[in-house]
Amino acid sequence: MNCLICGTAFQPTPTWRLLFVYEKESSTCSRCYSKFTKSDATIEFNDFQGTVYEGAVDAITALYSYNEAMKSYLHQYKFLQDVALAQVFAKTLHEAFEGKEGSVVPIPMHPEKLVKRTFAQVDELLNSAGIPFQHMLAKTATSEQGKKTRKERLEASPLFEVTARIEARNYILFDDIYTTGATIHHAAKLLKDAGATRVDAITLIKG
Amino acid sequence: MKEQLQQFLTGRIWLREHTPFPCEAIDAHIESGHIHLKPGIQTDEDQAFFGQLKKYVCNRCHNTTQHLFHTFHCARCNKNCTYCRHCIRMGRVSSCSELLLWNKEHVSYANDHEFAWNGQLTPLQQKASEELLTSVEQNKSHLLQAVCGAGKTELLFPSIFQCLKQGKRVCVAAPRTDVILELFPRFQKVFPKTTIHALYGGAPDQEGFAELILATTHQLYRFEQAFDVVFVDEADAFPYYADETLQRAVKKAAKQDAAIHYVTATPTKTLQTTNQSILSRRYHGHDLPVPRFDSLWGYARQLNKGKVPIKLQQWIEEKTNTSTPFLVFLPTIEMLENFPGDLPRVHAEHPDRKELVMKLREKKIPGLLTTTILERGITIENVHVAVVGAEQKIFTSSALIQISGRVGRSFQYPTGDIVFFHHGISREMDKAQAAIEGWNRS
Repeated sequence: MNCLICGTAFQPTPTWRLLFVYEKESSTCSRCYSKFTKSDATIEFNDFQGTVYEGAVDAITALYSYNEAMKSYLHQYKFLQDVALAQVFAKTLHEAFEGKEGSVVPIPMHPEKLVKRTFAQVDELLNSAGIPFQHMLAKTATSEQGKKTRKERLEASPLFEVTARIEARNYILFDDIYTTGATIHHAAKLLKDAGATRVDAITLIKG
Repeated sequence: MKEQLQQFLTGRIWLREHTPFPCEAIDAHIESGHIHLKPGIQTDEDQAFFGQLKKYVCNRCHNTTQHLFHTFHCARCNKNCTYCRHCIRMGRVSSCSELLLWNKEHVSYANDHEFAWNGQLTPLQQKASEELLTSVEQNKSHLLQAVCGAGKTELLFPSIFQCLKQGKRVCVAAPRTDVILELFPRFQKVFPKTTIHALYGGAPDQEGFAELILATTHQLYRFEQAFDVVFVDEADAFPYYADETLQRAVKKAAKQDAAIHYVTATPTKTLQTTNQSILSRRYHGHDLPVPRFDSLWGYARQLNKGKVPIKLQQWIEEKTNTSTPFLVFLPTIEMLENFPGDLPRVHAEHPDRKELVMKLREKKIPGLLTTTILERGITIENVHVAVVGAEQKIFTSSALIQISGRVGRSFQYPTGDIVFFHHGISREMDKAQAAIEGWNRS
C-alpha cells in the first residue's frame, strides 16, 4: 500500500479484526495519520440560544480539530480536487455513524459550484465510508460562507430549501467543517420546521 | 492577443483551466486550428488473460503507474472520470480536461544576444568546456562529470551562448528549486539581452517568449517538443534519478533530434551519452576535503531520550566557539524535529529555508540542522559539516559525496572539517570516501 498523503509505501498493521471481520483498511501511513488530532467532543452551541435557531439542532459531534495537517489535507482535497483523499477518514466516519439512528442528510453544494469542483466533497466522504445517505436539501444561495462574518451568516436569507418529504423521524446532518455553525443551524431549522422529530449533526472537523 | 498566446504556448502543453487568457480567445484559436487539443488522460486497452485491461497514461506527465490514477463520478462530464494523482500539484488533469498545444508556426525570436562574462576558466575547465562545446556543435549528447565545486556552471556559458546565437531555444534543468534560484541571477548577469524565465513551483508569472529557460525538472512536464538543446544539471540528484517520469519529461520537453547534455558529480549507470569529459579538480586547484569517520554509537537512542551524544555536542561547541558556520545533516525529519536544543533547523516542508541559509551565510546564526535537502547547490564560505547517522540508507554514496562537496569551496578557505558520525560503517560511506580520494589522486 502507498500512503494517500505522502505517497510512501507502508504496511498496514495486521490485526485479528482485519482477518476475521470486515474492516476498512487504513489508506494512510501512521506518520501522516498521527498528524491529525481527534476531537470527538460534542460541540457547545449555547450561542444560538435566544435566536430563532434555538432548539433546531439536538446534538453536534465533530471528529477532528483543525490544524496544519488538516489545512493541507483540505487544500489538496477541495482545492486541488484530489477525490481519492476522501478515503483517508473512511474508517473513522464509518465508526462515527455506527449505531446512530436516523437518515443521513449531507449538506448540499450549489449545482453550479458542483460542476466547477467536479465532485461534492461532503458526499464523497460518506461514499468512501459506505454510509447510505439521501439528499433532502438543495442549496439556493450561491455566495460563499467563508467570506462572511458570523453575524452576516446568521442574518442571511435561507441558504437551503427542502426538496423531499420530511417525516416525523430522526435525521443526521453531515458537513465537512463546523466553523460558526450557521450552515448546520440553517439546515436543521428547515428540517425541524418541516416536521423532523430530532436533528443531530456530525461534522468531520471543528474549525 | 494572438502574439501573447503564441509566445506563451509555443513548446508548452498546458491545462486549459490554468491559462491566463480569456476563454473566448482560446476558443477562437482552437477554431482556427492554431491550438491543438489533447485529452488529459489517455486510455490504452491492454490485452490481458481475462478480457481487456484498461491502462491509463497521463498526457502531461506521462505517468503510467496505475495506482496513481483515481476514478470517480465527475459532475462536470457526468461520467466516470479518471485523473492523475502524480502531477496533481500542477492542477488536476482528468479524462475530461483539455490540454492545449500550439499547433502553428513557433515564435521566431531575436538572435540578439550578448555574452557578458569576463571570468577566467582554469586550463582544466577550459578543456572540458571546449569538449562540451564540440559536442553541442555536433549535436551529440555529452556527459560532463565534474567534482563538487569545480565550477560547472561557468563551463556551460560558452556552449549556451553558441546555441543562443544560432537561434536555438535552450533549457537548463535541475531537479531542485534551490539550484534554479541560485542560477537565475547568475545567468541574468551573463546574458543581459536574453529573455530568461526561471520556472519552479510557485514561480511568479513571467511575460514574453524566453529563449533560455531555467526550470526544475518537474516543470518540464508542462513542455512538449520545445527545446533544441537541454542541459540537465545535477542529474544525480533526488528525485530525478529515482523518478522515471522526470527522465521521460526531459526527453519529452526536448525536440526529437535535440541532444540532451548532463552535468553531474556522480553519474549513475543509466546515464548514456555519446561523449564524456571528466573534471576532477576544483577551480581553486586544492584537494577535495576527505571525510573522516567517527563512531557515535547508539546516537538514535540518546537523541530519542533528548540527549545530544557527547562527541557531537563537543563538535558543535567547538564550531560555535571558533565561530565557524556549520551544517549538521540528519537522516530523518523526525530526528530533526526532535533534536534537543534550539539550533535552527530546515527540511523540505520548511517555509523559510532560503532565509535561514542566508542567515547562516551572514553568520547571524552559528549553524543549521538539516535533512538531505541542503545536500547540494548551496555555497557557504568556510562551512564545516557533520553527518549524523551516515550509515543510514538515505545517505547514498552520491548524497555523501555531495554533502562533502559543501566544504572548502572558496579560495580563502579551501579546506574544512567533514565528519561522518556513524553507528557502524556502511559500504556507501566507504564508496564515497574512496571516490573523493580517487579524484584527489588523479
